[in-house]
Amino acid sequence: MDQSRRNFCLGASVATIGAAAIGAATLTPAPAGAAQARKGGDAAHRWGMVVDVRKCVGCQACTVACIMENDVPENSFRTIVSTYEVTEQGKTGSYMLPRLCNHCEDAPCIPVCPTGATFQRQDGIVVVDNTVCVGCAYCVQACPYDARFINHETQTADKCTFCVHRVDAGLLPACVETCVGGARIFGDLNDPDSTVSTLIREEAPKVLKPEQGTQPRVFYIGLDPKFQGKVDGTPTLWRPAREKEHA
Amino acid sequence: MDTNIVEVINVTREVAWLPWAVQYFFLIGLSVGGVLLSLPGYAFAKDEWRKLGRVALLVALTCGLAAPVALLSDLHQPGRFWHFYVVFRPTSWMWWGSVFIPFYVTGLLVYAWACFREEFQEQGRIDSRLAALYRLAALGGGRNDRLIRVMGLVVLAGAALVALYTGVEVAVIKARPLWHTPFLPVQFLMTALVGAAGLVLILNRFAADNDRAVEAQANRLLAGFLGAVMAVGGLWLALGLFGLERTHAEALESVANSEAWRVTALWAVLATVLPFVIAVAKPMGTGLLSGLIAVHSAWMFRWTVFIGGQTVPKTGAGFYEYALPAGPDGLLGILGTAGLWFFLLLVITAFLPTPRRSAPRPIRAAHAADRAVAAAE
Repeated sequence: MDQSRRNFCLGASVATIGAAAIGAATLTPAPAGAAQARKGGDAAHRWGMVVDVRKCVGCQACTVACIMENDVPENSFRTIVSTYEVTEQGKTGSYMLPRLCNHCEDAPCIPVCPTGATFQRQDGIVVVDNTVCVGCAYCVQACPYDARFINHETQTADKCTFCVHRVDAGLLPACVETCVGGARIFGDLNDPDSTVSTLIREEAPKVLKPEQGTQPRVFYIGLDPKFQGKVDGTPTLWRPAREKEHA
Repeated sequence: MDTNIVEVINVTREVAWLPWAVQYFFLIGLSVGGVLLSLPGYAFAKDEWRKLGRVALLVALTCGLAAPVALLSDLHQPGRFWHFYVVFRPTSWMWWGSVFIPFYVTGLLVYAWACFREEFQEQGRIDSRLAALYRLAALGGGRNDRLIRVMGLVVLAGAALVALYTGVEVAVIKARPLWHTPFLPVQFLMTALVGAAGLVLILNRFAADNDRAVEAQANRLLAGFLGAVMAVGGLWLALGLFGLERTHAEALESVANSEAWRVTALWAVLATVLPFVIAVAKPMGTGLLSGLIAVHSAWMFRWTVFIGGQTVPKTGAGFYEYALPAGPDGLLGILGTAGLWFFLLLVITAFLPTPRRSAPRPIRAAHAADRAVAAAE
C-alpha cells in the first residue's frame, strides 16, 4: 500500500482540532456565511486531495473505480483523467490531468441552488441531496470546473462526493484506493501531519482556475499553467453518445 | 514557445439547460415586452396607444401564460417544483424567480381582465348564447381606468422583477464568461422588446384588424429597440475587442476562433440591421416581414446565449457538439411550447374578438374638426 493509502487510516484517527493551524496558515478559510451554512460531517476534519500529475499514468483506473463505486450512469463521469498530446519544440509527449469536484471552500454551486439540495458538510465535502434536488441544473452552470452533470437515472444534479460514504466509514475514496501510480493523495487538511498538509506545505501545489476565487481543496503538484484553465487545444474527443447513436 | 495541444480524452458535458429554457426566456421576455407596450394605452389611458396596446396585451397574455409551462418542463424533476416554496434561499436568483413568476402572472391576469372588462361588458350586451358568460366575466362592471392603472402599476412592478431576475440569474454565473456580463440583463430586456414589437406587428396582421397606424407605430418602436440592441451589443463587443475588461475579452476569445460562432455573429447582425432598415425606411406595409425577422432575432439571441453558451467547455479544448434532439428535450419541446402559445391565442381571440369599431380618436378628430371649422369661418 502506498503512502497515500497508508497514511489515511492513521491520519483520520489521530487528527486533532488543534491541527487546524494548517488551514489558517496556508489556506484561506471559507467566508463566514458559507461556513455557517455547513451541516453534517465532522468539523474536526477538512478533507482535501492532492493530485501529483507527475505520477499519473493516465490509466483511467480511477475513472472506472468511481463509476463502479458510485453507480455512475453510462456516458457520465464524476472523475476522469483528461489526456493531452503536447508537442513542443518538435517533441511530443502526453499530459494527464485527473479532474473531479474541487470541493471548494467558497463553492459557487451552493449559493445558486434554489432548494438547498446542494450543501457543504462541516468537513468540507460538497454533496447533493438528490431527494431534494429539482434538477434545475443551476449548479451545473455555476461550477467553473465542469464537474457537475445531470444524472439521467435520478434526474438530479450529480458530482464527485470524495466517496463520502467510504470516508465516513474510515476508507479512502475509490479513485485514491485504486490509483496505481499513487498520484491521488487524500487526507485531512486540518491535520498538519497528514500527507496532504505536508505536500501543500512543501510542494506549493497549484489549483485549477484560481482567478475564480473558489478556493479549491483539490491541489495539483506539477500542474502546467497551460492546463490550469480552459485548455487551448484541438479536441479529438471520444464521444460515446455519438457512437451509440451510430451503432 | 510554439506549443500544440491535442485533447485525446476528456469528458463531454451535455447541455443542462435545455431548449425548454430558451422557450421560457423567449416567452417570458416577450410577455414582459408586451406588458410594457400595453401600459401607455391602458394604464396611462393614452388613446393613440390604445389599439397597439390591445395587441401588445395579447402578446403579454399568451406568452406570459405559456412561459411557466416551458420553465417547469426545463426542470429535470418537474414534480418537485414545490421544493422551491418550502425553503428560503435568498442567495439564489432562481429562487427569487420562483417568487416573482407567480406574482407577475397573477398580476398580468388581473390587469388583462381589468383592461378587457369593457369588452366583456359590451359582449354581454349582445344577444348570444355566451352573453351570460361575458356578463359574469365582467363582474357587473365596465371600463374602470383607476383599476386598470393600479393593476398596470402592479404588473409593471412584476415585469420589472421578472426582467431583473431573468437577466441577473444568468449574468451572475462567473463560470461562463459569455454570460458573466452586466450587459446581459439589458440585452435580454432590449431583445425582449424587439420580439414583443415584432409579435405585435404579426398579430396586428393576423389576430387584429391590420391597422396601418398600429403597424407604423410598432415599426417605429421596433426601430428604436433595435437601435438600442445595436448600441448595447456594440459596447459589449468593444469591451472584449479592445481588451478593456478581462471577462469580456475572455468571452470573446472563447468563441472568436470558431467558424460557427462567426457565422452566428454575422447572422445576428443581419437579423438586427435588416428589420431596423425596413422599419425605418418603410414603416407601413412591411410589418409582417420586419415582425417575423424581429421575433426570430429575439429567439435566436436566447438560443445562442443558452445553447451556444453551453457548448463552450469550461476546462476542455474546442467546443462541445450539440445536435437538437427530436424528442421532448429538443424539437418536440420547442414545437409543443409554440403550439401551446398558439392554442392560447386562438382561445383568447375567439373569446375576445377584436372590437369592430375603429381606434378611439375622438379627441384628435374633434380638434381637427374644430380647426377646419375655424378655418372656414
